[in-house]
Amino acid sequence: MNNSASPTAPATGKRPASGHGHRPTRTPEFERRLARRYRAERNFKRMGQAAIVFSIAVLVFLLGNMLINGIGGFQRAELSVEIDFRESGLTGDETSLTAPSSAKVLELQGLPEIVDRYAQRSLGAAGAEQLSADAWRDIAAALADDPGLIFGRETFELAASSDLAAGLADEGSPEMQALADRLQGEGVLSNNWDLGFLSRSDATSPQQVGIWGALKGSLLTMAITLALAFPIGVLSALYLEEYAPKNRWTDLIEVSINNLAAVPSIIFGLLGLAVFLSIFPNYRSAPLIGGLTLALMTMPVIVISGRNAIKAVPPSIRDGALAVGASPIQVVFHHVLPLALPGILTGTIIGMARALGETAPLLMIGMRAFVATPPDGFTSPATVLPVQIFLWSDEIDRGFVERTSAAIIILLLFLLAMNGLAIYLRNKFEKTW
Amino acid sequence: MTLIHESIQHDRGAKMIARDVSVYYGSKKAIDDVSIDISPDYVTAFIGPSGCGKSTFLRCFNRMNDTIPAAKVTGQIELEGEDIHGNAMDVVQLRARVGMVFQKPNPFPKSIYDNIAYGPKIHGLGEKKADLDVIVERSLTRAGLWEEVKDRLDDSGTALSGGQQQRLCIARAIAVDPEVILMDEPASALDPIATAKIEELIDELSGRYAIVIVTHSMQQAARVSQRTAFFHLGKMVEYGPTSDIFTNPIEERTKDYITGRYG
Repeated sequence: MNNSASPTAPATGKRPASGHGHRPTRTPEFERRLARRYRAERNFKRMGQAAIVFSIAVLVFLLGNMLINGIGGFQRAELSVEIDFRESGLTGDETSLTAPSSAKVLELQGLPEIVDRYAQRSLGAAGAEQLSADAWRDIAAALADDPGLIFGRETFELAASSDLAAGLADEGSPEMQALADRLQGEGVLSNNWDLGFLSRSDATSPQQVGIWGALKGSLLTMAITLALAFPIGVLSALYLEEYAPKNRWTDLIEVSINNLAAVPSIIFGLLGLAVFLSIFPNYRSAPLIGGLTLALMTMPVIVISGRNAIKAVPPSIRDGALAVGASPIQVVFHHVLPLALPGILTGTIIGMARALGETAPLLMIGMRAFVATPPDGFTSPATVLPVQIFLWSDEIDRGFVERTSAAIIILLLFLLAMNGLAIYLRNKFEKTW
Repeated sequence: MTLIHESIQHDRGAKMIARDVSVYYGSKKAIDDVSIDISPDYVTAFIGPSGCGKSTFLRCFNRMNDTIPAAKVTGQIELEGEDIHGNAMDVVQLRARVGMVFQKPNPFPKSIYDNIAYGPKIHGLGEKKADLDVIVERSLTRAGLWEEVKDRLDDSGTALSGGQQQRLCIARAIAVDPEVILMDEPASALDPIATAKIEELIDELSGRYAIVIVTHSMQQAARVSQRTAFFHLGKMVEYGPTSDIFTNPIEERTKDYITGRYG
């Protein structure tokens, strides 16, 4: 060693270089190298910051765009029609109006014609034509909600036709724009918040559509997915980590599960089509089949995250439990599983969020049908949020553009809520050791 | 091969005996034909340089080596005349009778109370809460921890200091009322004051339980044990009264280790 200074030498090192040679950390080359190292570090930091700024910009653009479009999607053009029930000739009382068949009875009593007559009075002949032909159903529903209305005079906000809605947005044909301007000037046409969007289902007109059918379809599908994928995934992960011998077969299973997680989702759709629909041919487009298919896709994600969470439980905890005489299953259920739960739950929710946003496999099993009523159960025809978005984005009518954005906002809110839940559960159950 | 001092051959009947025990990790032989009697009256220390197999041998006594898939144990180990690998004894039962304390304190991430009550609960020793309360207090008292934690039994066991955690682990081991306590370098992760407390505790517990302690600190072995076995390269080289081993070792390798020539 040529630079072996004695331990008692002063650290400042002001001693002249002796015959023992130069000190490699005091040379100009070393200082240049040091400056280069710091420069590289600064550059790396800047690149990282640039990447973050870029991602945030993209996200803000995306969300901003959705929000601006989507706000329109939660509104619709409505016409005000005043109806005086006292002179309409309609009859009815509390029991008849709240009966399930009240709409039918009111139709027989000529409610559609009455609505048309009052619409002509409020809006003029051209305006009344732009009232949707089904507008009387809204009034029937309002009467069923509040039978007292039939003894008085009431102003209803009824959906305008999509042509008139386009006119109100200064698009579409010049005649419609002129009509929309006139009606708006008279104060009988306006864009109102459309809370019904959250409670209606798919329809042919963008003025009549709602998201509830798809939302309920998504919820039912997710319930099936969770009920299947969670127990199967967690049990597989526990068995593979805690019980299975480490040999060629378990290696093969591990590789297969990792591959399964990487399989494109549309392949799972084909599998669902080939397997589940041949077993249950009558349940095409039902949440049951959709849930089964998505469970196949979600399960490997849960197995992988579950195994990682179980692996992260320190072996010393297992040893401690075994040493006081816990049986292997007690070790698993009293110690390993509770400690791994936050990780397992996080993985599950991320897997579920992915399944919630999945479109392709559901298209394969026929969940793209036009479904105008919310599903009653797991076996009735349904659609789901992302498929609904896909279907609406394909529509020609301009009104669907905003409705699509609104549906995307609902989907994003749903995803956000799930991720929030994941974070909450992780923090709640996380323990330190 | 193993040199056993004559004076200990008059010890009272052994609590545990091992005969021709070998442990293999795959094809590697970690313990080579070791036979030893564990006295119920004394603290037995296993000493030796790192990697000599003393911890591996200790883990044979409560079959903790079962958890290592590659490990294979041959030979005979008996607890009060019963073969611990035999059909008559279940491994869960064995571990309830032969407790263990590990090198690194490993309390469960549960409350102090639950840490102690866990063992009695799974073995059905305390059916009622009141029974468990008694066991918890008695175990913590014996482990010298009761006064320090009696007001915060609901706090997490992991919130205690390192030395307290280790005493909690000792309390956890004695809560199921074992006959033997195995300690695998119980103080190696602790500071000198906490170490002194643990050693004091071992002293108090000896006699009530047969205690086997693995340590790489010769001073610790000299302080807490009455019987010492010296291990080297998987073999038990010499076994005898601690005072003899430290003052008057017979084997050359023991002498070299005791005098700090290697290890």
